[in-house]
Amino acid sequence: MFLSKIWFILISLVAGVALTFALIAPRPAVQKLGVLEGQRLDRAQYAAEQMFKVDAHKWIDRVSKLGRDAIVADSLDAASRGAGEWGVVHKTLQDRFRALIPDLATGGIETLVAMDLKGRVVARVGDNDKEYGDYIGGAEVIADALRGYMSDDVWGNDGKLLRVAASPVLSKNHDRIVGALLVGAETGDNLVERLKKNLDVDVALLLRGKVVASSRNPADLALLPDLIEKHTKEIAEVKRTPAIALTAGADSLLAVAAPFPGQAGQQQAYYVLLGMQPAKSDLPSLLSHTSSDDLKWGNFPWIPLLLALAVMIGVGLILQRREVEGPLEHLRKDLQQLARGEITKILDSRYGGKFGGLARDVNAAMERYTHAPAAPSEMAGKDLNAILGGKPARGSTFDLPSKDSAFHGNTPAPAFAPPPAGGFAPPPPSFAPPPPASFAPPPLPSAAGSVFGAPAASPSGGGLGLVKSSGFGAPVGKAPPALKPAAWAPPPPTAPAPAMAPSVLPAAALAGADEEENSEATRIVPYDESEEEAAHFAHVYDEFVAAKKQCGESQAGLTFDKFLQKLRDNKAALVSKHGCRTVRFSVYVKDGRAALKATPVRD
Amino acid sequence: MMRRSSYALAALTLGTALVGTASPALATTNTVKGTVRLPEGARSTRLYSGYWRLENGNVPVQTTGGAKAETVVVLEEIDGAHAPPARTVTVEIGGLDVRPRLVILGPGSVLEIKNTGKMTHELSTPDTTDIMPVERLPPGGARHVKFEKVGGFVVRDAEYPHIMISVIVVDSPYYSTLDERGAFSVANVPDGKAKLRVWTRGAWATEQEIDCAKKEELSIKVAAPNEKDAAE
Repeated sequence: MFLSKIWFILISLVAGVALTFALIAPRPAVQKLGVLEGQRLDRAQYAAEQMFKVDAHKWIDRVSKLGRDAIVADSLDAASRGAGEWGVVHKTLQDRFRALIPDLATGGIETLVAMDLKGRVVARVGDNDKEYGDYIGGAEVIADALRGYMSDDVWGNDGKLLRVAASPVLSKNHDRIVGALLVGAETGDNLVERLKKNLDVDVALLLRGKVVASSRNPADLALLPDLIEKHTKEIAEVKRTPAIALTAGADSLLAVAAPFPGQAGQQQAYYVLLGMQPAKSDLPSLLSHTSSDDLKWGNFPWIPLLLALAVMIGVGLILQRREVEGPLEHLRKDLQQLARGEITKILDSRYGGKFGGLARDVNAAMERYTHAPAAPSEMAGKDLNAILGGKPARGSTFDLPSKDSAFHGNTPAPAFAPPPAGGFAPPPPSFAPPPPASFAPPPLPSAAGSVFGAPAASPSGGGLGLVKSSGFGAPVGKAPPALKPAAWAPPPPTAPAPAMAPSVLPAAALAGADEEENSEATRIVPYDESEEEAAHFAHVYDEFVAAKKQCGESQAGLTFDKFLQKLRDNKAALVSKHGCRTVRFSVYVKDGRAALKATPVRD
Repeated sequence: MMRRSSYALAALTLGTALVGTASPALATTNTVKGTVRLPEGARSTRLYSGYWRLENGNVPVQTTGGAKAETVVVLEEIDGAHAPPARTVTVEIGGLDVRPRLVILGPGSVLEIKNTGKMTHELSTPDTTDIMPVERLPPGGARHVKFEKVGGFVVRDAEYPHIMISVIVVDSPYYSTLDERGAFSVANVPDGKAKLRVWTRGAWATEQEIDCAKKEELSIKVAAPNEKDAAE
């Protein structure tokens, strides 16, 4: 049993550890996947930043190249000097631009603007190409160009993002600035698609708290601007956010946002790269993501798992067999042998643990049953009626065999017959009452007294059965003539000793003989009785008398001889019935009365 | 003889009293001079830069302007100083630019902003929206904003962030803008301690206690924003 318990604990621990591992292990894995996805987004953001940078340089180069065109330079020079007709200059520049860049959309150009030295628009192509003459020289990128710088910027006007680049236009001699050119690159859905294609991530563009373009449904990203605004500190420090968890529709996303450069950066203009967040690490989510492929032989360690299960079950069964079932079978066989009398005791050394204890308990019980009368055993604790098969009766002072006993009607009955149920009838007229001096009428059997002879309530009790009184009516010496229970046989008047009226024990007579007969000197011990047994009977008698005294019972009519005869008769009946060697008697108190108990002794 | 000495004593007492009364008016005044050294990045004429800013390679670039044009030195906490009178100052926005970019007012002054360009502007004081909430200013329109409190305020354009007006409301006449070299000079400053503060490009850049009686020239270094953050 010990190893079984250890094995059970080990299996529980292994199962607990395995379950804990199964629940915990996905969490760091998912976290790691999240980190990796965040790193992927970081790299994508870096790539996007480099792409914007390269784009900006490309646009600066393009607009610078346009500014080196002679017609453009001459037109702007004339406009700056106020030498030409404005309308003509405007038309000349527009035509020249269209000739140089036939398809603005293909080149990704949204607008191209030429300005004179004061920042006044001379010509436009693309957006608002009919408008000119307005001043836009205050824009930083244009002011820079008129100072001689080639630079770029990002504008966020009218809900649109525009990446712009400007370059000064020099005179033909390259000795002075005559104007500037500005090119605006489309920054919306086309840019988003290009970024998604190049970076393999979803992209969203934000401006002033709104999604202005996205490769996902913009409605799903409604919370994105507020989410990014919470990371303005990181954006100011490292020019981008960490990976932010975001729920977009049914998807869990990770977002990395970075600000656009230039003045749009002050208008909450961000480009946001969106990646899929790893699945949740809780068990239902993991199971929901499990497919049949995951359970195939090649993908799942079925063989090690089954082997481990088989080993666990096998070891458990072996231990169970060795520690429980095996000993149980042996014990059962031993008990069967014990029941058949093939063995007298169980070899408890064969058993370990609780089975050994059980075997020892059985042995101890057997030992007590066979050798210790007072000890509880199968028969111990039962009164004589139970031992001999009779029914117990209330208030019996003697536990005697009922039928098959020496007191049954077939055998020489005691010198009394059971009284009628309603009590003892008065003796017939022919009955000669004993002399008053030697015979005292006992009290009625229904009352709690020392009247001897009331049979058990059950008529079948027969014989002497159980009596309520502590009187004892067994004849001393030879067996008295049998008395029919239904007949009342008065003793012969001349009998030297009363023939023991069955229900009315001449207590006074018994008591009269007590003083002489109760003495040790006058006790009669049969010749065939061992001294030990005689001593036992005498001891039992003493105990019985003492018990009666202790219980406050009358000892009238109780003599040692009668008592001895009673014990002998009982012993004979029990030996006859159980085939035992002898019988040991013990005194006990039952329902406040002294009683005797008989225990057969086999060896 | 006795009467003559009494007259002399009375005259002496009166003269002493008159001198004592007139002494504050005759107290010495100072000129607080110095130079503000702005960080390297403040030389740029741009508030917000893109990825690239390259010289053309043929014609020298013009570097005038920059943060110096938007910097003012203010002396505060001078005893007996009186605030400049309230007035109305007009600022024009046109051609995607604003002129002037820096105005210095007394408490209760009104800033009038006129949109002379063709663009609509969304102007406000983002840090103190109770003074000037966001409001669209269409072409040709004007907006008047009264500044009661002393301090520095920034009017920004949400559509064109580079359009920024610095409004400095002072409670004393002791202030000065910078010249091209970054030098400043505040004249008629009375003796005593004062707090010198420097405002540049929309924020107070630095402040320090000075003793106006000292004749030495001040050298005030304004840290770059990142340096300032590191110092904090």
